[in-house]
Amino acid sequence: MEFKNFSLAINQTKVSRFANDLAVGKIMSTSCKKCGKKYYPPRADCSACMNSEMEWSPLNGEGKLVTFTKIYVPPEHFAVRQPLMPFSSVQFEPCPVGIIEVEAGLRIMGWMPKIDLKKIKIGMKLKAVPQVLLDGKVTIVLEMI
Amino acid sequence: MRKVAIVGIGHGKFGVRSDASLRELAFEAVKACLDDSGVPLKEVESMVTGIAGDEFSIALQPSAQVHDYIGFDPKPNFRVEGACATGSMAVRTGWMNVASGLADLVLVVGVEKMTEVPTSMATDIMGRGGDATWEYPFGTTFPGYYAMIANAHMAEHGTTEGQLAMVAVKNHYYGSLNPYAHMQKKIDLEKAMSSFTVAHPLKLFDCSLITDGAAAILLASEEKAKAISKKPVWFAGLSLATDTMRITERESLTSIRASREAAKIAYKMAGVKPSDIDVATVHDCFTIAEIVAYEDLGFCEKGEGGKLIEAKETYVGGKIPVNVDGGLKSKGHPLGATGVSMAVEITKQLRGEAGERQVKNAEIGLTHNVGGTGQVVAIHIFRRE
Repeated sequence: MEFKNFSLAINQTKVSRFANDLAVGKIMSTSCKKCGKKYYPPRADCSACMNSEMEWSPLNGEGKLVTFTKIYVPPEHFAVRQPLMPFSSVQFEPCPVGIIEVEAGLRIMGWMPKIDLKKIKIGMKLKAVPQVLLDGKVTIVLEMI
Repeated sequence: MRKVAIVGIGHGKFGVRSDASLRELAFEAVKACLDDSGVPLKEVESMVTGIAGDEFSIALQPSAQVHDYIGFDPKPNFRVEGACATGSMAVRTGWMNVASGLADLVLVVGVEKMTEVPTSMATDIMGRGGDATWEYPFGTTFPGYYAMIANAHMAEHGTTEGQLAMVAVKNHYYGSLNPYAHMQKKIDLEKAMSSFTVAHPLKLFDCSLITDGAAAILLASEEKAKAISKKPVWFAGLSLATDTMRITERESLTSIRASREAAKIAYKMAGVKPSDIDVATVHDCFTIAEIVAYEDLGFCEKGEGGKLIEAKETYVGGKIPVNVDGGLKSKGHPLGATGVSMAVEITKQLRGEAGERQVKNAEIGLTHNVGGTGQVVAIHIFRRE
């Protein structure tokens, strides 16, 4: 699978397997083989010790909501061609997005398609789950546990 | 390092300038700046141009359009870019030119033409000012990022949507008094609170404007400054600090770390404390950003930013007048021009030329300019003699 099925624009990166892993249900991080520093989003190079030998491992996606929003005025990419707006069956009814912390300092951004804005509370427990969309793209959603 | 002063200021009309191109906007500001200083362009040795977006200007080297159109060739022109902090990075680069001894007279121009592209595309371009690989796929926009900061701030400190709206009311009030402002109209709290939601909890009046505009300043060495200007305004402290590309990796979502780092350095270099600042322009790309800036710059304690605006302490006559030129909120936010426009406003204030918006006897002023979601922050502290 091409990486841009996740990123939408950029395709060429050393961590392109991230999209393939999402497609088979895993949210992957990388860790530095030398100093042990763990990264999400995954990186091919360690900025803590400048080493480039990394190990891939799946994250347990459970964590607490750090913050969120619901964007009513979307960027062109999502606004013009409606099917590309994930989880948006009704035109201009957008989907909230949030950030959860799954390990100290490791945070995952994701769409929150099944959670009503009024019920979202910072600190609530959520799980990040990969999702394959109808158009073949892959992304991450945050679900109630 | 040599002392450096601002000896000329120029500001074009900010707004939806469908009458003018990027280079024509730059010309307006440069002409006004040279007129203000009385220095002919032929005496200026070097220039720095701040333009944030090739995508906005639909050109690969828009700065060349500027030096060509004002007739600066064959002298050097150096373009800098740092998203919304582009203008202040241009000011800093101009200062480096003079402080280092490379030149005695340097022109700094900040310009952006944002409305040539449709609003949805402008939103898209701005959204990629976050991490274009890892955040953009979640439909993030600039209002979206700051909305996430707002929700975190409200949860942690009890800041209210009403307090956010009070920032908009203040900045629109001062924008109504600034002839160069994009939106020269007052609004009341009810209007701000009832505007439509752009990104929950931020409403239309919590957001700065997509604006065309230009501003310019002329920088001089000490000897030249004293010969040229009766009221030179001196650089006292400068700083630039950076932070992670992604907001997901920030140690705090209720503060901009690069602002706190930059503030520390700039205050130290200028030998002043937050309470010494008489007037400030801070980066109010969104109302929450101004409240966070109050805290990061030490104008109040952490978490007390909402109360500071509620007590009207950031109006003229208050503890620390902030954005009394209308701010990005009402004056508009043409990315490359914003930081230069901030320096123009502080110069006016320190010269005592701000008219109805004048802070009495202002001696020390500060500009605070944030790039993106805080990836880069530039702070300048100015003094009059």
